[in-house]
Amino acid sequence: MPDDFDKDVYPVPPRRTPADNKQTSLPSPAVIASKLFYYSVDLPVTKFRECIDSIQSGHKSVYYHQRFRRVPDLTECEEGDYVCYYEAEMQWRRDYKVDQEIVRILQERMRACTQREGDSYHQNCSKELQNYNDATKAFLSRYGDLGAYASGRKCLMKQKERMMDAQKA
Amino acid sequence: MVGMSVLRSAAAFAARLSPLKSGNKVSNLLTRTIPKTEQVLVRWGHGKQLFVIKSSSYYDTRFLHLLKYYILLTGIPVAAGITFINVFFGEAELAEIPEGYEPEYWEYYRHPITRFISRNIYDSPVKDYEKMMAAIQIEQEKGEHRLAHLEVRRQMRQRGDGPWFQKGTVDKGLIDHSPKSTPDT
Repeated sequence: MPDDFDKDVYPVPPRRTPADNKQTSLPSPAVIASKLFYYSVDLPVTKFRECIDSIQSGHKSVYYHQRFRRVPDLTECEEGDYVCYYEAEMQWRRDYKVDQEIVRILQERMRACTQREGDSYHQNCSKELQNYNDATKAFLSRYGDLGAYASGRKCLMKQKERMMDAQKA
Repeated sequence: MVGMSVLRSAAAFAARLSPLKSGNKVSNLLTRTIPKTEQVLVRWGHGKQLFVIKSSSYYDTRFLHLLKYYILLTGIPVAAGITFINVFFGEAELAEIPEGYEPEYWEYYRHPITRFISRNIYDSPVKDYEKMMAAIQIEQEKGEHRLAHLEVRRQMRQRGDGPWFQKGTVDKGLIDHSPKSTPDT
């Protein structure tokens, strides 16, 4: 079975089912509905999954996340060394993708927290909200407005502009 | 005889009164019987056969049939093949890279068909990277050579001490000095 989600990052809220206070001997409709769901959906799906797992159990394969070596940055390249420019550009693109995924994960955590807490998310989710806002501000200050043809050079020029503005102010 | 003429005049009178009523035509006034009420079909059997005029749907049905046929001709084997691979081979699971082990380049993909294509059809991403860097280096060297060539031309034209920009002259040994009173400079 694929792994369930990380219970620390996405905590499950405590259940609020009221205590059983049955006054009749008839079965409650909630129990009927849950049993119906179990036998019509849950059980067949689990059996199908177990059947396929038993077929595949002999020859499971694995995949890994690739680790890339760090190469000299665009600022450390000699002028006219286009090979160095290419390697720096590829590294910048990988870092750009990683940063996009980081912001996406933080956003997902913030949305999960908001969904969990409901109307009281301003108080209870403040940490996730703060993380997400900081990450988004940083991402936009570094990569925002670079456009579809973003490149390491354009990002470097944007950083230069940022530093010039910071110096002026 | 007389009665016939009276009847005829009565028919003509009735026809003149209400000429549009179907029973009042001259032809059947004399010979009409009491008309039966319309025989309404109470039990609706097959219905009256109508010749409905509509445009031909032959070309439309033929097109849709051929469309379904050609799509399913390869669609069904492809879907069956992919289902077979997903059931019997299955997707890979994520794992940490073990110590001291360098995974092959196709072991970074999840689906078995992607792994197959990466292993057997495509070059490894490292090789593609190196190919790109080789192309860039060749172009860089070409550019550098061209700039150097221009600089060398400039220098040799300016200084005149190189092999280029020399004008060929006649061999010194071939000059006949005998008719000359002063030597050529």
